[in-house]
Amino acid sequence: MEKIITKTEKQTLNLGKKLAKSFNGGEVVALIGNLGSGKTVLAKGIAEGLGIKGHVTSPTFVLLKPYVVKGDNIKKLVHIDAYRLTSGRDMEAIGATEFFDRDDCVTIVEWADRVKDILPKDLIIVKFNIRGKNREINIRR
Amino acid sequence: MPNRVFFVKFKCMIILGIETSCDETSAAILKIDRGSFNIASNVVSSQIDIHTVYGGVVPEIAAREHVKNINFVIDDALTKAKIKPKDIDLIAIASGPGLITSLIAGTEAAKTLSYAWGVPIISVNHMYGHIAGNFLEKIKFPALCVLVSGGHSELILLKDYNNFKKIGQTIDDAAGEAFDKVAKMLGLGYPGGPIVSAYAEEFRKSGKTPKVSFPRPMLHSGDYNFSFSGLKTSVLYTVQKMGKLNKKKKEEVCYEFQEAVVEVLTKKAIKAAKEYNIKSIMMAGGVAANRKLRSSLEGAAKELGLSFYVPEFKLCTDNAAMVAIGGYYLNKKTKAKKDNWKNIVADPNWEL
Repeated sequence: MEKIITKTEKQTLNLGKKLAKSFNGGEVVALIGNLGSGKTVLAKGIAEGLGIKGHVTSPTFVLLKPYVVKGDNIKKLVHIDAYRLTSGRDMEAIGATEFFDRDDCVTIVEWADRVKDILPKDLIIVKFNIRGKNREINIRR
Repeated sequence: MPNRVFFVKFKCMIILGIETSCDETSAAILKIDRGSFNIASNVVSSQIDIHTVYGGVVPEIAAREHVKNINFVIDDALTKAKIKPKDIDLIAIASGPGLITSLIAGTEAAKTLSYAWGVPIISVNHMYGHIAGNFLEKIKFPALCVLVSGGHSELILLKDYNNFKKIGQTIDDAAGEAFDKVAKMLGLGYPGGPIVSAYAEEFRKSGKTPKVSFPRPMLHSGDYNFSFSGLKTSVLYTVQKMGKLNKKKKEEVCYEFQEAVVEVLTKKAIKAAKEYNIKSIMMAGGVAANRKLRSSLEGAAKELGLSFYVPEFKLCTDNAAMVAIGGYYLNKKTKAKKDNWKNIVADPNWEL
């Protein structure tokens, strides 16, 4: 367990970038935390770290957004938001679970606690707590 | 065959539109008679009692449920419009952007019908479809479209009905999403747009000046992009600081939040209108239902001496009629061939 305090949005973004550098493909990152706690910012950082150009916007409405990655091993980033979902069954319904065991893919699941029954065992869990304007971020691999 | 030529000349064009980008399954029949549009049917799955047809409950997250719904919805659209497959001249499918599983369901169904019926098919960008909801009126070009919904916030420049480009967009949350999330923080329920707007209106009526203040993100960024995520976080901090909120306080927060969203969208629209010598401003997407935003943009258009358009509400939310209208104009530009189904694939990231 790694505990990090970020003081600005930029620091949260950079944490995502740093995290992405350690990825080899096949990672599933579960983001857990309240509204405004920094989940999408961290996801944007991961995307940036994987070399994705262009805007990575919130997938809340559309539920799942795939991005092409031009890495040696990693070819795809899948950004999922379970905010509007109620169970693992919904995750299957949108085709999200298909990406979990793909070695060429990094999958980020925001609001992962809402669909934990369907997530793989091998997870990177990132928990966000709001501490005033700071964020306490706990990473468990 | 002189008779046949005579018949074709006066036959109105009939387009079947199909839309499955996200939650809604929709099909519509659009008739075009010498340039005038008639929406003969516009069926949206959430509005009809499909579960009585195949049993079980239609879940809110419908992605793969589109597969079950689509034939019923298309059949209903044809029946309501009293149209037979042989009458259809063109199929218009929103093949992106959106949720991949949803898009595939609609796109493959549309391609199959195109092949089976021998009817040409054209793919329509879902966002362009939203804009096309305005085209029931004659538009003055160049025009600027403020496209705001639960999933998108974009500024689109149109030189003509079928010549357009995106000049700005949100870099994080969509405007409609920010309304939903602020409503959630204040415990006001879902969907957030109408309720936040109603609360804001209560505060406005009180005639008071709000004591809370929120930032206008990216107002002076120099481009046409937006950011609503930081605004959401700012609301969060304020709400946390205020402690337990009574209804009056919530109204005040809603008011100031809505003011911030509307101001940013309006000022950027005005800036674009000036830079591109726009002749009209139009709205599109579900957030076009927001009265404050509508009156603000309409006021700005008036001040600049521009025309202003907004589609009726049922053409603002996801529906297939707008896709059919978009298909009509795209087909005018590049006529779809009968075997065009071979070229169409669902594209979740299709940018305008």
